[in-house]
Parts: sequence; structure tokens; C-alpha cells
Amino acid sequence: MTRKNDIMKKPKLVYETYIRSTPKKTWDAITKPEFTRQYWAGVANVSDWKKGSAWQHLAPENEVWVTGKVVECTPPKRLVLTWADPDKLKDVSRVTFEIKPVEDMVCLTVTHDNFKAGSKMVGKVSWGWPRVLSSMKSFLETDKGLNIFAGC
Amino acid sequence: MQKSTFVYATYIRTTPEKLWAALTQPEFIRQYFFGATQESTWKPGAAWKMTLPDGTLTDAGEVLEIDPPRRLVLKWRNECKPEARAEGYSRMTYLIEPGSGSIKLTVTHEIDKPASKLIESVSNGWPVIMASLKSLLETGKALEEEAPCKH
Repeated sequence: MTRKNDIMKKPKLVYETYIRSTPKKTWDAITKPEFTRQYWAGVANVSDWKKGSAWQHLAPENEVWVTGKVVECTPPKRLVLTWADPDKLKDVSRVTFEIKPVEDMVCLTVTHDNFKAGSKMVGKVSWGWPRVLSSMKSFLETDKGLNIFAGC
Repeated sequence: MQKSTFVYATYIRTTPEKLWAALTQPEFIRQYFFGATQESTWKPGAAWKMTLPDGTLTDAGEVLEIDPPRRLVLKWRNECKPEARAEGYSRMTYLIEPGSGSIKLTVTHEIDKPASKLIESVSNGWPVIMASLKSLLETGKALEEEAPCKH
């Protein structure tokens, strides 16, 4: 993860990467289950992606790993979601995906913040985002994701 | 002591040996560092420098630790921006950890100083350089534009 603010402040995880792809393909890689399954350890992001709708992060056996609401959806530029473990819904946080075209590539910035005090989610997602986003870049550039959760 | 630290991890489909070559061979570095390169004999205590294609010296220092293909620690001072140069030496560590199917590369750049201009500056540079390195190793083609993402 790139930056973690001082302990005194609320944690904010920011991961920035550059992908040789288009904003549309990058958007689809985040929002279409048939793509997420290929690089996100078999997980599907499922929603109708309308503001206020629910979204779910579904494991291959259809177990819900993460759930939340769509706060903002502006394809193919910006997607803001709330993010919580379905068993600990009070420990809710926020994820923002921002996609910007830069020449023949996109800059993708994922910001995970608004954690509750003492959130257990911070550690999990700071472990996960570099893996998921590295795999997404590989998938978009080589058609093959990485085996990111191996050995965990 | 208050420090400024930048940490960035990326996962690359490659081998530790290829990644090590990409991090230490000048002609390899030039391909993903947007024309800049680094030179050193890569021995403990050896001088290290980074230069632009026109020869401008941007950063310099020495090799603090080297353990191929696992770990490289450089003493690193900016040499072209007076404000950053005045902060003195920082430490930059490359850590390579093999996994199944991909290699984890972690870059840690730190200085014993709060609110460092040098760390702020390298924080804008490392993500695109790491992305370019990953593209080069996985697709044979680095990224071409060093355009930073404007927030």
C-alpha cells in the first residue's frame, strides 16, 4: 500500500497503478463478474451498479465475502462503494475507484478510507489491494491474472 | 524519531533472477525508468548514481546492502532539486519475495525527517515506475509516458 497516515489520524489506503488499457476495459474489469473472476481469486463483484443499489463480492461458492452500497457510479471514471464484512456490518468503510486516461494507458487509483475506529478491515485490505490490483493489471495487459491468494 | 516513509508493493509474473537483473542492469533500467538509468558496481559500499539520457545527475549515493536476488539497500540523495538535496540521505530498499506464480517486489523509501520533500517527490514517481517495470517483465513492453496521475 502506498500511504498510511499517522497513527493519530484515521487510516487511509491509497494504491495507484498504471495499466496499458482503456477506461472502458478497466471499468468492465472492476464491475463485470465474468472479468473479476479471472483475476480476483475467482471472486465476482455483483450489482446493477446504480446509485443506492446493493453490491456483493461473491466467492466462487456464492458465499458473500463483502457487501455494501453503491454510493456513486460514473462509468468509466469513478465508482464509490461502501464495504463491509456481512458478519460485521458496523465495521463499514469506503472504497473509491478512479480511472483516468493517460496517453495509451489509464491511471487507476483505489482509495480505501472512512474506516471505523479499531476497524479489523484495515489490515485485511492493505494485504489485499496490492495483490488484486497487480493481478488486474496483468489480466488487462496479458489476459491472465495472477494467482494472488495462493498460500494465504 | 519522526520519519517519512513511502512503501509500495507490486506482484510480478517473473523470476527473482530476472527481476534482479531488471533492477540492477543499466540498459534494463533505462527501459522502464523513462530513460533514466542507474549505475554501480553493486558491491557493498560502492558508489551509485542515477542519470538522465542527457547525462544530468539526478540522484546519487552508495550501496548499503546487497543480497542478490533478494535485497538491495541504497543510500540515496537527490542531486538536482536544492530543496530535496538539502534533506540529505534517504534509504531505498528493494525487497524481492518469491510466491506461487508471482514475485512480490516491495519498494521502501524512507528518511529520518518528518514531511520530507524528497519522499513526497518519490511517492509520485515509484507507482508509475513499478507499473512500467511490471509491464516490461510481463509483456516485453514498458510503459511509454511518465505522465503522473493528477489528483
